[in-house]
Amino acid sequence: MWLVLCSTQDISGLWAFQGLQLRGLRPIELVTVEMLPYSLKWEHTMGVSDPEFSITLVDGRVIKSGAVRGVLNRLTHVPLHHLAGGPDYDYATQEYTAFFMSWLFALPMPVINRADAQGLCGAWRHISEWVWLAGRAGLPTPLYSQKSTDRIDETVEIRRLHPVGTPTITAIVVGERVFGPHLPSRILTGCLRLAQLAKAGLLGIEFAASASENGWTFAGATPMPDLRVGGEPLLNALAEELF
Amino acid sequence: MILLCGIPTESPLAMVRKALDASGEHYLLLNQRQFSVMGIMLEIADGRSTGRLRVNGDSYPLEEFTAIFTRLMDYRFLPELKDQPDGSPQRQLCRNLLDTLNRWAEVAPARVVNRTAAMGSNFSKPFQAQLIRRFGFEIPETLITNDPELVKAFRARHQRIIYKSISGVRSIVQTFNDRDMERLENIRWCPTQFQAFVEGTNVRVHTVGHETFATAITTDATDYRYAHRQGGNHAKLRAVELSDDLAQRCLELSEGLGLAFAGIDLKVTHDNRAYCFEVNPSPAFSYYEAHTGQPIARAVAAYLAGG
Repeated sequence: MWLVLCSTQDISGLWAFQGLQLRGLRPIELVTVEMLPYSLKWEHTMGVSDPEFSITLVDGRVIKSGAVRGVLNRLTHVPLHHLAGGPDYDYATQEYTAFFMSWLFALPMPVINRADAQGLCGAWRHISEWVWLAGRAGLPTPLYSQKSTDRIDETVEIRRLHPVGTPTITAIVVGERVFGPHLPSRILTGCLRLAQLAKAGLLGIEFAASASENGWTFAGATPMPDLRVGGEPLLNALAEELF
Repeated sequence: MILLCGIPTESPLAMVRKALDASGEHYLLLNQRQFSVMGIMLEIADGRSTGRLRVNGDSYPLEEFTAIFTRLMDYRFLPELKDQPDGSPQRQLCRNLLDTLNRWAEVAPARVVNRTAAMGSNFSKPFQAQLIRRFGFEIPETLITNDPELVKAFRARHQRIIYKSISGVRSIVQTFNDRDMERLENIRWCPTQFQAFVEGTNVRVHTVGHETFATAITTDATDYRYAHRQGGNHAKLRAVELSDDLAQRCLELSEGLGLAFAGIDLKVTHDNRAYCFEVNPSPAFSYYEAHTGQPIARAVAAYLAGG
């Protein structure tokens, strides 16, 4: 079977699930992050044998790692609303997240994107690291500046490369292909290089309108882009990567 | 120049500082508790980081630092901030200072002990165990579940089993006993990690660059770090030599995880099999050095100096 792991709020993930189903990836199961914490039975093992897991979902479906042929993974967090307010909520959150990191990493390849120490669906990097990697990948980048006297509170606010409201466009790398807007060759090469440096099978790369390089300046990157930007060609590529 | 970050009286930092003093290396100590006299500015352009660090009126280009040893603690627990309300200017300054330092350390072209990203695998023990396995180590038979019946079967199969946290939250490893059976239903709320107990000798291996320092720990406790609390005698530590093969695997494991300095927890069985439980990316090596005299701090200092 194939798996699509996403939130019920993730329109893009749900769209991809339908699209992959239409492309013949069957049986394909949609498993939402909202139902996972309520699973009736978890069994995750490792030792002499390769890591394995089995999940008995609350609707009766059983997902066994050995039966999985490919995964589109868009899990970002573990919602534990049912435990909120309890004395061990913070501990439970860390335990569940660490547990998810492990069983997601145990999924047999291909997995787009595989769990990483920095995120459940691939590395979530700070913008300073993204802009550093983008520069090394050869993409035009704005100057990034951070000072200890900055007024920004990053616990509630995201640090940005460009002012809020700056128009941006997104390109999406899937494997060795780039989807979205038509890109100058240097930018296209830079996108592929950035995905390689980030070890991401799927990566959304944002660009802001600017005067440099015909208007392409790096604005950010994410392992969780809106897949609809790539349209049907992106779905075809995903199906090929997962088949 | 080498940058040391943390609280000067903290044992590992103090020992590395002393070793640097002994070798005459040039370093700057950033005392985290004196954050109010510090400032840092970081810039990144074209894949390169630059900037300046200011301490007590002196200013240093970030590019001059060739190595960083960081033992920074969570700023919220600093005594200087305990009476400060959330969002106070002092708290914000301290948070931004540490954040900017950390951001720089992630991208700096320097020897960093250790970068935050590389330390991430320690957040999930079974995740890290999957990586450990790839380097030729055995890992204990492990079950993570929310089903009491599976635990009972696991215990019946392995006889003696232990349980511990899944995440990086520090927990005392406990042997699962009959009293735990009475509260086993609680795991339905949160999957819990159980492992088959491995008989053998605990060995802590510190890897520093291309060097290894191994310490054997003799104890009758399940978790030697808490030997006295678990009703036994204090653990006894002694320096031991690893086989070339095992030392090489430890070095490859640390390097594979991106850690220039690591504390690897092994258990070596009577038939010489090496089980690996965990790789600590920020090891409190001072405990081992104090008991064995192994020159771990000196090796860290030499590594920072480019050796």
